[in-house]
Amino acid sequence: MPKETSKYSVIATGVSKVYKMSESLEVDALTAVSFKLKQGEFVAIVGPSGSGKSTLMNILGTIDKPTSGEVYIDGIPTSKMNGNELAEFRNKKLGFVFQSYNLITGLDAEKNVELPLMTASLSDSDRRDKAQKLLVRLGLGERLKMRPTQLSGGEQQRVAIARALVNNPALILADEPTGNLDTHSGDEVIKLLKSICRDGHVTIVMVTHNLDIAKYCDRIIHIKDGKLEKQEVLA
Amino acid sequence: MDLKDIFWLSYRDLNEKKVRTALTIIMVIIGVAAIVALTSFTAGINNSITTQLESLGPTAIIVGSIGTAGFTPASVSAVSSLPNVTSVTPLLTGSAVLYAGNQNTSVTVVGTTAQGLQQLIGNVSLYQGSAYQDTIAPDAVVGHSVAFPTSADGKQTITVGQSATLRLGGRGGTTVTVPILGILPAIGGLLIPIDTGVFVPLQAAEVLLHRLSFNEMLVLASSTGSVNATASLITTIYGSSARVTTTSQLASTASSIIGSITLLFGVIAGISLLVAAIGIMNVMLMAVMERTREIGIMKAIGFKSSHVLLIFMLQALIIGVAGGVAGIVVGATTSYSLAAVFSGAGSTSTTTGASASTSGSFRSGGGSSGGFSGAGAAGAPSGAAISANTSSGISFKPAFPLTTIVAALLIAVFVSLAAGIYPAWRASQMQPIDALRQL
Ligand SMILES: Nc1ncnc2c1ncn2[C@@H]1O[C@H](COP(=O)(O)OP(=O)(O)OP(=O)(O)O)[C@@H](O)[C@H]1O
Ligand SMILES: [Mg+2]
Repeated sequence: MPKETSKYSVIATGVSKVYKMSESLEVDALTAVSFKLKQGEFVAIVGPSGSGKSTLMNILGTIDKPTSGEVYIDGIPTSKMNGNELAEFRNKKLGFVFQSYNLITGLDAEKNVELPLMTASLSDSDRRDKAQKLLVRLGLGERLKMRPTQLSGGEQQRVAIARALVNNPALILADEPTGNLDTHSGDEVIKLLKSICRDGHVTIVMVTHNLDIAKYCDRIIHIKDGKLEKQEVLA
Repeated sequence: MDLKDIFWLSYRDLNEKKVRTALTIIMVIIGVAAIVALTSFTAGINNSITTQLESLGPTAIIVGSIGTAGFTPASVSAVSSLPNVTSVTPLLTGSAVLYAGNQNTSVTVVGTTAQGLQQLIGNVSLYQGSAYQDTIAPDAVVGHSVAFPTSADGKQTITVGQSATLRLGGRGGTTVTVPILGILPAIGGLLIPIDTGVFVPLQAAEVLLHRLSFNEMLVLASSTGSVNATASLITTIYGSSARVTTTSQLASTASSIIGSITLLFGVIAGISLLVAAIGIMNVMLMAVMERTREIGIMKAIGFKSSHVLLIFMLQALIIGVAGGVAGIVVGATTSYSLAAVFSGAGSTSTTTGASASTSGSFRSGGGSSGGFSGAGAAGAPSGAAISANTSSGISFKPAFPLTTIVAALLIAVFVSLAAGIYPAWRASQMQPIDALRQL
């Protein structure tokens, strides 16, 4: 397995998630979902509301555990890790972009981006440098010291993308990153994610309802009723 | 993860909610201030009593007369001739007002021999100047707080070599000019009004107070072993016309009073700390709930449970240390003002008039005895031991042993940390998925 898995950035094998509501009521949020994503791929996950997209993202992001199945990220199986190992793993390998940005309101843009670096042993100045460079690259050079509440939605989402990128992750998970944005800022965010995929080795998995946006991607995974309905390879 | 970053994140949280943080810290301040004020207050009283008992020595027996007759020189020689008696010092006391400059101070005039004065202050040397000789001239040696009154913020208002005016017998009484020969070191004024006393030679006091009898005798037994026997012998001789008190009786009275004060104070301090602990826990639980989402984000981007735990525990620590330090300052200030209130009662004032008569209210109803009348005739000393001797107010300084300060700080930190454990643990155990799902 290791030889085979290491070629792929993400491998999901038979991932299922069952929510047990009571003795008699169970919700099958995901049923035996399997796919392989190559390094540097930009992947869209689409599907109707309630089809299990967020559930899948949470499992890929190791903040939720599958009822059965396994997820390999960079060849590493994730289901057996404990809380601390997962925290460290997420810190090193994963980046998150949420629909509602999820920045820490009490911290300015720069500090929000520095946050994932705090768990690493990096000097203060290196840390600041890294965060600043990234924000400048994402066009936020003038916004370093601003708090999330002083930024527009598009700007906040770019700060969130900088935060996701700062640790050079293998995989960025973006659950409806344009959901709260107007078309223009949404397009900018997508172009940004696309360019990140291009010049880095980062794999990006993005949930979207917007098929126009999904067209930017290399591949579209369709989910319906918790099952992988079909995969479309565009690139 | 750096402790510096953890600290920064904790501090930021607290700083953001300034009012809430301040209120939480105030809760700790109240608890700690209560501890510090109360312990330093009782320790101050305790020190004052100990100093006095030490200056009197363990072999001292105080014999106070009951009724107006008093003791005569014959009584002094009679007691002197008892077995195991080393010395007998007669004391003649009365209340007066001392005028010096624009300061008038309610004092106790104590007439005693030069040797008696030395015995009262435990044979230590004077703070300034020298003692008087046994003459009929009203040469005076004043107590420390007479020269350095609290109403003048402890500044010296009477100097050696100057003269002061002593008015005796309240309003319309006689006034006498007294040269100040010396100033006593601070000894205390709780059991015997030394710090608030004006000491004059015995013969001079007889003239000033128009009395030839003494109202007190300070008897020294030859050894600690013979104190009790000598005391009961004196009791049998004088029966109900005298109160006989030994220093050990005074000490046990004092310690039982201090014991009950300490217990009362301890309960008060304990309750306020308990309230503070509940308050901290409540505030921190609220903060954790409010920050659920942030905790989820931090965990999603790689913060471990231990990091989150530390962030919140550090907040509790900051609250504890801040509250502890501020509480010590507030407590110290409080106990100084408490001490000032107590010693200010009838002690000194810059207004003229009634201070002489207010001093009387602190005295026991024991006839003419103005000085230390001792307590409980038959070895059953009562609370009067303290109140009876404060014709010029209780004078003592609150004590702040390092142990009190360290203990107060430790208690503050301990209480805050203990109150913070549960909220911090709750925060650390939050699952990022649950925390993030909550909008
Ligand atoms: N914690 C939970 N407990 C029980 N059921 C859940 C839980 N989380 C999700 N579900 C169920 O799992 C299914 C998939 O939910 P999910 O959030 O993954 O959908 P989604 O595809 O992201 O939908 P949307 O496009 O509206 O965001 C839904 O039927 C939902 O009700
Ligand atoms: Mg969703």
